[in-house]
Amino acid sequence: MTGQIIGRILESLAQLCLLLAIAPLVTGVIRALKARMQTRRGPGILQPYRDLYKLFRKGMVIPETASWIFAATPWIVFFSTVLAGLMIPMVAAEAPLGLFGGVLAVIYLLGLGRFFLALSGLDTGSSFGGLGSSREMTISALAEPAMMLAIFTVAIGAGSTSLTQIAGAAIGQNWRFLAPAQMFAFAALALVLIAETGRIPVDNPDTHLELTMIHEAMILEYSGPNLALVEWAASIKQLVLMTLLINCFWPIGLQPTWFGFGALQGIAWLLAKLVFLSCAIVLIETVNAKMRLFRVPELLAVAFTLGSLALISTFLF
Amino acid sequence: MTPFLDMQIGDRVITLMAALVLVLQIAMVSQRWIVVHIRIFAAQSFFLAMIAATIAWYNHAPHIYIAAALTLVVKVILVPILFERLVERMEIHEEIEPIVNVPLSVLISGGLTLVGYVVAESFYKPGEPGLGHNMLAVAISLFLIGFFTMINRRKALTQVLALLSLENGLFLAAISLTYGMPLIVELGIFFDVLVAAMVLGILVYRIRETFESMDVSRLRRLRG
Amino acid sequence: MLLIALLLIPVAAAVASFFVRRREAMEVVNVAGFGIVFLAAVALAAQVMAAGTVLLCNGFFYVDALSALVILLTASVALVCSTYSIGYLRDDQQSGALGDDLTSIEQIAHLRMYYSLTPLLVFSMLFMAMANNLGVMWAAMEATTLASIFLVTFYGKVTSIEAAWKYAIIGGVGLSMALFGTLVTYYAGHSLAGSDALSGLNWSVLAQHAAQLDKTSMRLAFVLILLGYGTKAGLAPMHTWKPDAYSEAPVPSAAILSSALLNCALYCLIRFYILTSRCLGPEYPGHLLLLFGWLSMGISVPFILVQQNYRRLLAYHTIDHAGIMTTALGLGGALGSLGLMLHMAFHTIAKSLLFLCAGNVSQHFRTDLFSRIKGSVIGAMPLTGVVFLMAMLAIIGMPPFSLFQSEFLIVRAAFDGGHVLTGVLFVLFGTGVFAGALLHVGGMILGPKGDSPPAGPRPWRDGSLLALAVALVVIGFWIPAPLFELIRGAAKVVSGQ
Repeated sequence: MTGQIIGRILESLAQLCLLLAIAPLVTGVIRALKARMQTRRGPGILQPYRDLYKLFRKGMVIPETASWIFAATPWIVFFSTVLAGLMIPMVAAEAPLGLFGGVLAVIYLLGLGRFFLALSGLDTGSSFGGLGSSREMTISALAEPAMMLAIFTVAIGAGSTSLTQIAGAAIGQNWRFLAPAQMFAFAALALVLIAETGRIPVDNPDTHLELTMIHEAMILEYSGPNLALVEWAASIKQLVLMTLLINCFWPIGLQPTWFGFGALQGIAWLLAKLVFLSCAIVLIETVNAKMRLFRVPELLAVAFTLGSLALISTFLF
Repeated sequence: MTPFLDMQIGDRVITLMAALVLVLQIAMVSQRWIVVHIRIFAAQSFFLAMIAATIAWYNHAPHIYIAAALTLVVKVILVPILFERLVERMEIHEEIEPIVNVPLSVLISGGLTLVGYVVAESFYKPGEPGLGHNMLAVAISLFLIGFFTMINRRKALTQVLALLSLENGLFLAAISLTYGMPLIVELGIFFDVLVAAMVLGILVYRIRETFESMDVSRLRRLRG
Repeated sequence: MLLIALLLIPVAAAVASFFVRRREAMEVVNVAGFGIVFLAAVALAAQVMAAGTVLLCNGFFYVDALSALVILLTASVALVCSTYSIGYLRDDQQSGALGDDLTSIEQIAHLRMYYSLTPLLVFSMLFMAMANNLGVMWAAMEATTLASIFLVTFYGKVTSIEAAWKYAIIGGVGLSMALFGTLVTYYAGHSLAGSDALSGLNWSVLAQHAAQLDKTSMRLAFVLILLGYGTKAGLAPMHTWKPDAYSEAPVPSAAILSSALLNCALYCLIRFYILTSRCLGPEYPGHLLLLFGWLSMGISVPFILVQQNYRRLLAYHTIDHAGIMTTALGLGGALGSLGLMLHMAFHTIAKSLLFLCAGNVSQHFRTDLFSRIKGSVIGAMPLTGVVFLMAMLAIIGMPPFSLFQSEFLIVRAAFDGGHVLTGVLFVLFGTGVFAGALLHVGGMILGPKGDSPPAGPRPWRDGSLLALAVALVVIGFWIPAPLFELIRGAAKVVSGQ
């Protein structure tokens, strides 16, 4: 019993370190690849680490009108995202905190983070913050149902909402991916991934024009360590969603448990799949232009319909 | 060769392609650019031809190969080329806002898919050998969504494409219900589709010339 | 073989018209072609009456009394309209109605389009009536739509294009539904023993084994067929293309569309009705047909009462008669079928006559509106005025004209069969149409002499008019025995004896 608890704690620590370490790397890889595709030299892969280090050492400027929400939000966002990250299967099918919640918990934790981020955007009293918050909420209002439908499809296929079981059911059945329900769910989740992580064509993460920002507008007033926490949380959220997408649908290389040499193999497979997905994201970002805001609901409506089709297909196909 | 002869794999492949056809139909609903519309139609017809060819392979029914070849020639090559040339001549590239806005029409298409499934269920008799009974559901959904798109859209050329995708649905229904209709009927139908596309193309061009726009909501002079 | 001749001659006429240079040559080719077709149709009818049915090409062509009647009616309408169109199109050419800025070569090209498309249209209609395979029948029906679209756009006006577009799209959707219905019918018969790939859709085969068809599928199939071919027939609520198409097409084409093409659409409905009633019993298809019949008759009444354009009035009248014939089909039985067939024959003559008269009026007065004519027809064109009025009286069912007999037969069939509501509605709607049509048309024709000068001699048009008028009057009193036998035979096919 104690052995199990200690094992769990060790697993959680390992996954925590992995999350914290890899998240900025993924962001860096995506930026570097995008730069290369646009024939620029671009920042190095390790640049996000340097940015975080720099931000942690700087002082903070806090608006006078801000309340406790402004101060608390970076911590809330960071911890909720990390907690969500500990509940998903990354290297092993067993998620360390998987006992405490499955798919629904992950979605709600991420939603909690987003809620507080939107509140803090309003809290600063600047118009850009409000702008970002309202846009973010519009997008999430449409993206979340789509995500839920897609995840439920997968859950129904596996017979449980526990991510451990979902990933476990997926191990070893590689051609299951070709079933229409899985394909529709994958397509819906991919569209939602783009919306939630704020990538082109929904939002431009590199933009410096306030009027085109969504996520950046919400965090415009943050500086110093607060900004570092928020940015880190954003990249961890991106990692969480990408891992969710990968491990629910292509569980190749997913190990049954954390221990043994399988762990190293699992980490290697995870990194490989993440790089592959990053390339796909970069491709989508480079080929498309950012959509006008009132066209984004169209894209998300397609995602929603795909999600519902996925759900229907499990029963009817 | 044995894996290819396995009915299971054939069933999977056909189901996959039918799902793609359905997704393409929904993509057509959300599309704004007319040229993309034409290409989606061509892709959809291509997958239909592939489905027909796969069924012909597994059921050793040579006359379905001919239907597949006809689909390929008429709907994947000739009709799209015809319409792309028409679009070039008319220099209209974008659809205007449909009557029901895009997100709502995509949702309605999803609903119509469900209706298609329900209708197809009443046709499905368990125990009857057949590759992919879900194909009939996709076919009826194509029919319904095509019908809805025709009412929803305002540009004449898009209405014609919706009519043709409706016929695609009928072709898929024919394949799934009865493995295609007698060859002479298929020939007649394809010939009609080709001539209809040409005639309607000419008519669309004349509308554009006379009304300075393809917007059919301007065709309102005859009433009563 | 007669059948091959019936098919090849219109095609040959179309091709010949396409290649000749002079207008007179086109006219001659058309009239001669349709003349031969008419004679062939009469000979075919005689053959069918003698032999019962005529089959060719291993059952690909199947002609029974019903087909023979439809073929005969189509051929006669085509012939009369072709003689009429000689005068009509010459007048149009002179008056510049083809387009003010067209050179004479372009005008000839325009006429060429008419003279090649009309035989193609007739060819598709004849092919459809002869085809045994339901799918081929559908393909021929689609071909008629495609052939007639450019006839509707003949004058190239803004309104013509609009009318043609509506016709094309609504017809296209309707025919897709009909194709779906055909497909489901094929599926219903798929499990019949001995139905191989080719003959599985043959009507004769399906009709023989109709009782064994799959019932659920036939239900769905019939609904789809009714919606689909009903669109082509102009049944409400799918009728919206009719007033536009009939008022924009050149008058001889409108005459062919409203009489011959209507017959063809009803022919398809009848074929499927026979299959369905043998499979499911006559109540299910009968009720559906009655519903559409009521709707069509009912919808035409208000539109006729407030109509301002006499060509649209004739179109709504056609919708009304399509409703009457659908009601007759829905009533079924010996009386209903006989009424249907008689009505089909009489309506063809009367309706084409009406359209031709309307053409005379519209060409002379250059307007389609009642308000601009105001009663001067009888003064300016006595023959046309008299014939128009007479034909109008005939078509609204006034005795002693023939349509009174057929409508009376239908009402009798309604009350005999216990369909009291149908009978009552029939009489009610008929009265409404009677009043409206007589009011408007009578007001247009009868009145003091207006300002327009009397029309000059118009041999082709008046000659065709007179021929049809004579036929109409004569048939009211005496139907030649062979014709009556043909009609009786067709009725027997519908009612299954």
